[in-house]
Amino acid sequence: MILPTPEQKAQWEKEGYLVFENAIQGEDLKRLQNAFDYWADACKAEWLDRVEAGDAAATFYDIPNPLEKDPIFIDIIDYPSYYGALMEFTDHELILLGPQVRTVAPWPVSYTGWHPDVGYDNPLHIKVQIYVNDVEPGGGEFGFVPGSHKPDSGPYARPMRQESMTGHKTFPGKAGTAIMFNSCGWHVSMDNHSDTPRKSIILIYEKRTPGRIGPEQFAAISEYCQTPERRALFSLDS
Amino acid sequence: MPRIDSHLHVFTKATPEYPRETTPVCPAEREESAEKLLDVMAEHQIDQAVLVQMGGASIENHRYLLQCLKEYPNRFLGIGLVPEGHPNPAEHMAELTDNTGIIGFRFSTFGGPRDIFAKMDVRKFAAYPIWKCAAERDYVLWLYPNAINAHLLPYLIQEFPQVRVVLNHLAACPGKGKFSWDEFGRPQIQVTGYNLFMHTTYRLARFENVNVHLSGQYAFSREEFPYKDLAGWHRGLLGGFGAKRLMWATDFPWILEEPGYGKLTTVIEELIPNLSEAELAGIMGGNAKRILRFPDL
Repeated sequence: MILPTPEQKAQWEKEGYLVFENAIQGEDLKRLQNAFDYWADACKAEWLDRVEAGDAAATFYDIPNPLEKDPIFIDIIDYPSYYGALMEFTDHELILLGPQVRTVAPWPVSYTGWHPDVGYDNPLHIKVQIYVNDVEPGGGEFGFVPGSHKPDSGPYARPMRQESMTGHKTFPGKAGTAIMFNSCGWHVSMDNHSDTPRKSIILIYEKRTPGRIGPEQFAAISEYCQTPERRALFSLDS
Repeated sequence: MPRIDSHLHVFTKATPEYPRETTPVCPAEREESAEKLLDVMAEHQIDQAVLVQMGGASIENHRYLLQCLKEYPNRFLGIGLVPEGHPNPAEHMAELTDNTGIIGFRFSTFGGPRDIFAKMDVRKFAAYPIWKCAAERDYVLWLYPNAINAHLLPYLIQEFPQVRVVLNHLAACPGKGKFSWDEFGRPQIQVTGYNLFMHTTYRLARFENVNVHLSGQYAFSREEFPYKDLAGWHRGLLGGFGAKRLMWATDFPWILEEPGYGKLTTVIEELIPNLSEAELAGIMGGNAKRILRFPDL
């Protein structure tokens, strides 16, 4: 397990985010890209039907139940390059809430506005966004307001345009980049004015609290969770 | 400031003089007249209204609407329909707007790619000529997009920033097969618990020419009046579009029996209780007067 450096810990506390360049690379990145592309393609027609029926948004889509579709989607949950930081920041009480294996279409406006995911009273809630393809500036890259995870920050208003958010920082990056952020912080997907869909995976974690996730949630993948650490991460023994 | 009901329907019995399409909810003998509407409006201190055509899109089908607009020119403005696939929509629209009080047209499809990932050439959308005509002649476009069409809207809005756009009924986009009528004769639209519109139509708040109706709550809510489960939708629209681009409406006559017209005149205060007096007055009529250019009373 690679633990965070003192500098990373200080940045996490102060800014509420960390960037892991080349977090996933080489053969693992190829596996991830292949699995992503295969399943995104396989699931697209059904998603469009769901859009037509009003059961899914037209502006992005997630591969349903990705953990059951390819083991690489499980392997990235506790991937060494960022797993140590997740464990450290949650006092080794980390649980997975779920993954979003998401393709976002180019569109004149972003599919979402600036927002925090949870309130300051929520148990520590962390997301890791992994770029599956290169995400250029103006290509739907992640945006975050450093320091906005702190209760004494703000208040923040929702601007009409993503780029008008006070104090924000954007995170274009190469495929395999992982961006970890405290979900109390204000974040967004910037507009994607390119011709390239943004492919990314958003892993959602939280510091364990009793009963948050039941053992049935990830029971379908229990055969891939043989170690005590993984069983704890996927709440299989709770 | 006037109080304006910004979206509702009137119709008369289907006759050779006033031909219209009939449905089980609107059989030939049913009548919901402008005079009945004016009585209800007077009872609840509503001054003006937007009459939205129903019962067919042909010129003849618009006769009753045109008659109402002629008879009460200071009380009503009208929204017409264009037959789908009309060979010359500009001509149809021109005929209906020639000093008649009809200020715009209602649509739910735009004729572009079903898949948002497809290459988008807005000039190839079937609705492009209609939007172009609206831009040239200053028509209002009254939109209730089908779910599969919602992603096409920003391309048209970007192309024609001068067109005044009004998204109907909380900017909702009904899904295929999700429409029905309830026991009170009201449209019902089945929607997901998670509000998907915040990823499509709510994102159009960036475009200053886009406005939204706060109406039709009865069709989406799983609760009875005052439809508190939709308070979050209203807050989202207020936060995105601001109080000056929201317009209250009742969708008369569907609501006459349940919850009743009077109750709906208070629905905004119920669902957005922290509005200032000026914001509330704007939503209840001032915005419609400014955006739709209602005549002075």
